Amino acid sequence: MYSWRRLREKIFIYIISIVSLLALLPIAHLIITVFLNGFNVLLEAGAGFLFKNPPVPLSREIGGIGPSLTGSFLLTVISLPVTVILGLFAAILTTEFPRNPFSLLVDTIAKSLASIPTIAVSMVVFTLVVLPMKRFSALAGATALVIVALPYTYSYFSTMLLSIPSTYREAGFSLAMSRWGVVARILIPIAKRNLMVGVLMTLARIMGETAALLFTCGRLRTGLPSSLMGPVDAIPLLIFDYILSPFEIWRRVAWGAALILLLVYMLIFFAVKFFVKEVRL
Amino acid sequence: MMLSRRDKLFLISLLPFSLSVLAVLVILLFTVVANSLDALKVFCIQLLTSSVWDPENKVYGVLAPIIGSLTTSLIAVLTALVLSILLAILIAEYLRGFSREILSSIVEFTGGLPTIIFAIWASQYLVPFLRDAVMMPLHSYLSFISIFSCRPVTGFSVFSAGIALGISIVPYVTSIILEAYQSIPVAYREACYGMGATKYESIRILLSLARPAVVAALILGFARSLGETTIVVATIGNSMNLTPCIFAPGYTVSALIASQFGNAYLYPYAESVLYFSMLIVAVISLVLSLYASSVIIKWRSRIVV
Repeated sequence: MYSWRRLREKIFIYIISIVSLLALLPIAHLIITVFLNGFNVLLEAGAGFLFKNPPVPLSREIGGIGPSLTGSFLLTVISLPVTVILGLFAAILTTEFPRNPFSLLVDTIAKSLASIPTIAVSMVVFTLVVLPMKRFSALAGATALVIVALPYTYSYFSTMLLSIPSTYREAGFSLAMSRWGVVARILIPIAKRNLMVGVLMTLARIMGETAALLFTCGRLRTGLPSSLMGPVDAIPLLIFDYILSPFEIWRRVAWGAALILLLVYMLIFFAVKFFVKEVRL
Repeated sequence: MMLSRRDKLFLISLLPFSLSVLAVLVILLFTVVANSLDALKVFCIQLLTSSVWDPENKVYGVLAPIIGSLTTSLIAVLTALVLSILLAILIAEYLRGFSREILSSIVEFTGGLPTIIFAIWASQYLVPFLRDAVMMPLHSYLSFISIFSCRPVTGFSVFSAGIALGISIVPYVTSIILEAYQSIPVAYREACYGMGATKYESIRILLSLARPAVVAALILGFARSLGETTIVVATIGNSMNLTPCIFAPGYTVSALIASQFGNAYLYPYAESVLYFSMLIVAVISLVLSLYASSVIIKWRSRIVV
């Protein structure tokens, strides 16, 4: 009896380690393959990969992802500030006035919004923005990105504001500060680094989103975008179109683009880790 | 709550920004419902009982994609079930200090990884691997079971899509389970050890305490894989057929939309049919995730005193 319990303990540890290894193996393989394949492409294409146009299907030159990179940058620049501002104000509302009926509504809705498939957002923006304007545009893409990222940004900011100990808020009130004063002069300065993390996480979300862009921003791959009302491309979209193409050269470009995306994501991730480590309340 | 005048002003000035969230949801739902009514009026129940995509002759049925969505998500959850629970326990119980930091960072890292990167890897490496290592053997030995009955030709199939989705939701489900497991008060663990339970036995007891939260985490994983697009399009093979066999290529609702919605405005009703199928998936996903998050909140208020 006694030894069986001990044996079971040992068996359990082995099982748990093996299964966890099994869970991590795909991830490790994924990172390694993206790096290996991507590096090959980048080495061959050189620095031109970042600003040349993608190749035509039968060309020998790898070309680059210039239009997609610019497009992704443009979409991010438009949608990031909007998302952060909307998310932050919604979070301030629900954390400062938690019993207000509007706050409860906003909170529930933000949660529901997160569970709506992102491709549905793409369809709706296509119907409401792209069709009336009669063309794909950076503006439509950015709108879809804001809708997709907003619930995440909101829920991050509201957890962040709630995690600040209430003593700080009470100290402010005891000095006869108004609620706005407490938020602007005490809570925001305290949570400065966390705010930065929220912005970075929104950025990661916006940058990697594919499905929301499918029918909204178009695919401009022959040159740099000239206006916000015109079509643009994005890196995830380029990868999405190229991975399943029958042309070897396009698949290779997709690997290169995937490596660029992964590197940017890693950069954001480590920046987040750096900021989080230093936050102590 | 009594508010002073300045606070009231503050509240009112916050409302326009915040209510945009409300507006977004209302517009989304309204558009989806309004656009799917057309299809519902014309095709009624036929939409849900047949599987045809023939815009030229205006014949539509989306049974196969809906079943495909549910099947892939189910396979994904089953994959995540085994992997996530044990991974969460490993992090919570057996690792300390640096190694724990590393492993939970990896889980966090993968959780936010753009899905397109999963998609490119799954389509080029996971699918061929699954075909040769899993699907071929299962087919040759167990082909009398109907779900393994068809020959995996390319490997792009409902099964591959399910496994790829499963791998991508493991970090998400793991982090929810981990959070719930770690929020069980230490008194329960002390009680277990006090009775002379071994680590394994106390883990089983603690897990049974966390069961509602674990189930809720799996439901959230299911809802998330229902709506996932990129990974599925890259692995499922994209063809409209309804077979019980999971080794055959298929469609999910989001994969169907990804490949057909772009040209759908050219054909009468096609857009509306796609909206209708999205409505069904969105409603299932919405209901499941609201239910699951309410289960977690209720569980937490009961267990964490």
